[in-house]
Amino acid sequence: MLKIKSLCVSYGAVEALANVSVHVSEGEFVSLIGSNGAGKTTLLNSIMGIVPSAQGEAIFMDKSISSMKIHQAAAKGIALVPEGRRVFSNMTVLENVLMGGFSKSSKENSEKLEEIYSMFPVLKERKNQLAGMLSGGEQQMLAIGRALMCRPRLLLMDEPSMGLAPLVIKDVYEKLAALSKTGLTILLVEQNAAMALKYADRGYVLENGRIVLQGSAKELLGDNEVKRAYLGKEYKEKWER
Amino acid sequence: MQFLYSGLTGGSIYALVALGYNIIYNTTGLINFAQGEFVMLGGMLIYTLFAVFGMPFIIAFPLAVVTALIVGLLFERVFINLVRVKSDINLITVTIAASILLRDFAMHIWGRDTVTVGEFMPVKSIELPGGVISNQSIMVIAVGACIAFILHLFLKRSKYGRAMRACFDDMTAAGICGINAVMVRVMSFGVAAAVGAAAGVLISPITFVTYDDGLMIGLKGFAAAILGGLGSFWGAVAGGILLGLLESFAATIMPSGYKDAIAFVVILLILFVKPAGLFGKRMAKRV
Ligand SMILES: Nc1ncnc2c1ncn2[C@@H]1O[C@H](COP(=O)(O)OP(=O)(O)O)[C@@H](O)[C@H]1O
Ligand SMILES: [Mg+2]
Repeated sequence: MLKIKSLCVSYGAVEALANVSVHVSEGEFVSLIGSNGAGKTTLLNSIMGIVPSAQGEAIFMDKSISSMKIHQAAAKGIALVPEGRRVFSNMTVLENVLMGGFSKSSKENSEKLEEIYSMFPVLKERKNQLAGMLSGGEQQMLAIGRALMCRPRLLLMDEPSMGLAPLVIKDVYEKLAALSKTGLTILLVEQNAAMALKYADRGYVLENGRIVLQGSAKELLGDNEVKRAYLGKEYKEKWER
Repeated sequence: MQFLYSGLTGGSIYALVALGYNIIYNTTGLINFAQGEFVMLGGMLIYTLFAVFGMPFIIAFPLAVVTALIVGLLFERVFINLVRVKSDINLITVTIAASILLRDFAMHIWGRDTVTVGEFMPVKSIELPGGVISNQSIMVIAVGACIAFILHLFLKRSKYGRAMRACFDDMTAAGICGINAVMVRVMSFGVAAAVGAAAGVLISPITFVTYDDGLMIGLKGFAAAILGGLGSFWGAVAGGILLGLLESFAATIMPSGYKDAIAFVVILLILFVKPAGLFGKRMAKRV
């Protein structure tokens, strides 16, 4: 469904992504893990058309999306839940959700709204509150709800666990897993490798703008290098020995 | 009390001009220094349509506003869109240049002399406690309030109005929602031009119209926007009315030649003492 071929992205002299190739098939839940500054956000932003790519190609549903503007990528059926949620803080929860369905008819939106309310009851309870007043977890739910309003075929998630308490993180991932079960294709990027790989089918490891490892989520969770660098197991094991 | 009535009339106009500034500021982070020229344009258009062509006011008014709206859209397409490096300083300089161009165009079309629009309806004075108010002034205040209210509904209730507010909150997130930021920018210039022109139409029978009116009314509207807090909707309304009241109150205690200085004293005081304005929620952070 999504094919990224040898993508290179630079910010001036800083090369953020070098020859990154990633693919996501229809219905898959793919996680890409990497530490801070590895280039995860850059990858998603480049797919979405927020940052331009220097080289390489992004193909979505057999069409090149490399030179698309943000709203055009959205119209193609790609939704991004950005890093730090970026809800419209001066607008109400309901207005935020409706904004996600900007290009859809109001009839389509009212149907979808009910679905989103039943998936995230908290959004219904808080619908008239300003989004800026919500807790981090609620804002994350709102950002996901907003993204779902445009009925995406591919959902891009940027660090959904950032700044959230463990129980809330689990909650968010359970929702994502449920969405994945309904057939939604998900590409998620995370520092929190344990959670990201636990729920995913497949995974990639990104280091300094390069893909260094890929495989099924199980393989990656069992990989010694991943354990050492991302799951923090090394010292514990030594101590256990 | 008399100063209250004349202050409200001028204040309604300043409020509309200030709202025009805010619409563009809130979607693009820019101060459009050509905003005043659209007020002048509104006055000139109603002069042409109503006084020269003799159209009924009820048709001439919307026609003038729609024409100004189209000019506003073209203004964005030409002056803002074509600027290659869209930094704030470049764009703001362009709006100043564009305002001079618009003024020159107006001078060539309508001449250097002040034009008289005539009365939209037979003028009557109405006795009120402590003074008189003309039905003209009442119309300015009432229609001004209506326009502010319609604009409020547009921003709150309509899909496009919400998209403009979303762009103010987070341009990138708005794009992710499928909103075309360029479309919103074009629209904001159109709406701001329409609101400015409506103000120009309303005030034209009272102040008459000259090709270079835009400069002063634009700066006063800007003072009102700063006073109320740049970007705040009700701040613009309050700032406009307050400036109108201050001006007409000052006219009762000072020689009337100083009236125009009030707006600039207000700008300076606000910038020195309370940069966020009286009702501003926060300082700008837009790109
Ligand atoms: N707007 C920017 N300007 C310059 N450099 C940037 C910008 N955004 C990110 N970078 C750099 O690009 C690299 C990748 O950043 P990012 O994609 O945000 O990583 P991650 O999301 O994995 O933490 C980092 O070295 C970062 O400093
Ligand atoms: Mg990131």
